Amino acid sequence: MTRQSPEDLREIVGRLPTTRDEDWRYTDLSRARDITSRWLEAGAKTVAADIDEEIERITGSIDATWFVIANGELRLPGATSGISAERLDDVPAAANALAELNSALLVDGLRVRIDGAPDKPVGLLFIDGAADAATSQAHVEIEFAAGASGDVVEYHTSQGAQDHYANTIVAISVGDNANAAHLRIQSRDLRHVQTTHTTVNTGRDARFTSASFDLGGGLVRNDIVIGISNPGAEISFDGLYLAGEGQHIDNHTRVDHRVGPATSRQEYRGILNGRCRCVWNGKAIVHKGADGTDADQANHNLLLSEKAEIDAKPELEIYTDDVKCSHGTTVGQLDETSLFYLRTRGLDRQHAKQVLTHAFAAGLVSRVPIESAKSIVSELVKTRLREIIQSDEDFS
Amino acid sequence: MLEIKNLKSRIGDSEILRGLSLSVNAGEVHAIMGPNGSGKSTLAQVVAGHEDYEVTGGSVTFKGQDLLQLEPEERARNGIFLGFQYPVEIPGVNNAYLLKAALNAKRKHQGIDEIDAFEFLKLAKEKMAMLGMDPKFLNRGVNEGFSGGEKKRNEILQMAMLEPELAILDETDSGLDIDALKAVAQGVNSLRGPDRAIILVTHYQRLLDYIEPDFVHVLSQGQIIKSGDKMLAHELEEKGYDWVREAANG
Repeated sequence: MTRQSPEDLREIVGRLPTTRDEDWRYTDLSRARDITSRWLEAGAKTVAADIDEEIERITGSIDATWFVIANGELRLPGATSGISAERLDDVPAAANALAELNSALLVDGLRVRIDGAPDKPVGLLFIDGAADAATSQAHVEIEFAAGASGDVVEYHTSQGAQDHYANTIVAISVGDNANAAHLRIQSRDLRHVQTTHTTVNTGRDARFTSASFDLGGGLVRNDIVIGISNPGAEISFDGLYLAGEGQHIDNHTRVDHRVGPATSRQEYRGILNGRCRCVWNGKAIVHKGADGTDADQANHNLLLSEKAEIDAKPELEIYTDDVKCSHGTTVGQLDETSLFYLRTRGLDRQHAKQVLTHAFAAGLVSRVPIESAKSIVSELVKTRLREIIQSDEDFS
Repeated sequence: MLEIKNLKSRIGDSEILRGLSLSVNAGEVHAIMGPNGSGKSTLAQVVAGHEDYEVTGGSVTFKGQDLLQLEPEERARNGIFLGFQYPVEIPGVNNAYLLKAALNAKRKHQGIDEIDAFEFLKLAKEKMAMLGMDPKFLNRGVNEGFSGGEKKRNEILQMAMLEPELAILDETDSGLDIDALKAVAQGVNSLRGPDRAIILVTHYQRLLDYIEPDFVHVLSQGQIIKSGDKMLAHELEEKGYDWVREAANG
């Protein structure tokens, strides 16, 4: 399945980013290198674990036209109305070592085109579960045709608890006047490493609304790069990360406003407990001539433990005059006055803590742009919060 | 019901309560009045269990039990309610959720099953009607964007739902217009009964026109310096606090 020699592959692995690269200062991919090397050493064979039941469970929980990428292998759905799909053979030239690794080891790529207004979301289930340590690649292109209106749900998860490295590329293009809603859920095992590179390009008067939930994963790095090259775009994306003991979740966002007018807003929130580390790096670049740009970025973090660490960095680069840009970053603990207030109403300390923690996340859950998936997101967030705060109460 | 003996308390380095004694029996309504900084709010916070206030002396018992050993939530479940002077805004926490969670925490403590959704809604709507509150407030964030009067009504709603044995209302009348004041007073009066006691902490006599106290106490520099019946409140209104202070100092 590999198109390159083991030596070539090892060479690519050797060039994966390190903490010496400015963009990767806080996120050490040694584990990804190690897992991939072990897998290559063992002959680059992946014996799938028993994952069908988990696939059934997830695809049954959200009504969508599901494309399943299991250990890097594509399973196409039976029927697709309003959607055309094909295997992807012509992956664009790789721009960096992660992309090179992706194209060198890719088994099945996928291209999906959404026309008109399909009655169901497009579901993309990325599930990895192997008998031994393994590496998998996914490469998906999603095109919203001009005037199309549709939903995409990405669900990244795992089965079993083997070391795994998943390297994912998603390229989304939103045509003129198209309206794209996007939801990403990631709930991998703590032994999983994932790097995800998502690009979004928007046409004239296009809308892209997204919500992203990182609930699992031992080492997670998400890059989202949004390019606005046509006027009238309206971009809104949220991200929630919940990190417990041993997790590392890094979100790097970049919005390039190349023309105006256009608006982009992002809000990332994190809840951290135990020894864990999260990174949010939000970059907005307003290029020369992108007049009428309105860019807003916010990142708020709740640290429930002294061992939790957050690196939050907004970056604004503005090369034109007629713009409105704002950013805000906060890092804090639970408000003691609110805790006391809830306790005087009979809620014990733990329960009060959960209620306030959940409230911190609830705004992003209520903004999930795909109505039919909202309740499952809400449940997943609550379940993960319970694990992180270690309690079994219902708190909303 | 509530016995406070020679209570001393401080926050940080400043001593606020300096040997306060007060006895409240079931069925009674007590008003605690006094100038700003006299320790009224501190008394309320200490009884509710705020951890920032250190108790350095004296005792507080509630229904014969040492109250100072209990966590704030245990005090609440045992029947103590504090109406906050400045109710806290908690965006993202549904008002109905908090009411239900508070009610269920108390019911669990009493060994009663959780309230069912229908019964809860009926009860909440009934109490809201009494307080002149729009049922829409149930689905708002706790005190989120509420006006001053709405927040105070919301406190009284919580009290009315929880039916505490001892309610301590800290400056519940401050910032209320006359309609809100009447609604709040009605809520408080509806709770009056032979098994319950109410402590009104207030700066002004105005509230006492609507909720008639059995006892009025004047607090100054962390001690009760004079006690009397409702006539004392009128006297204070007329003559000011200096009059009592001078009388107390002899």
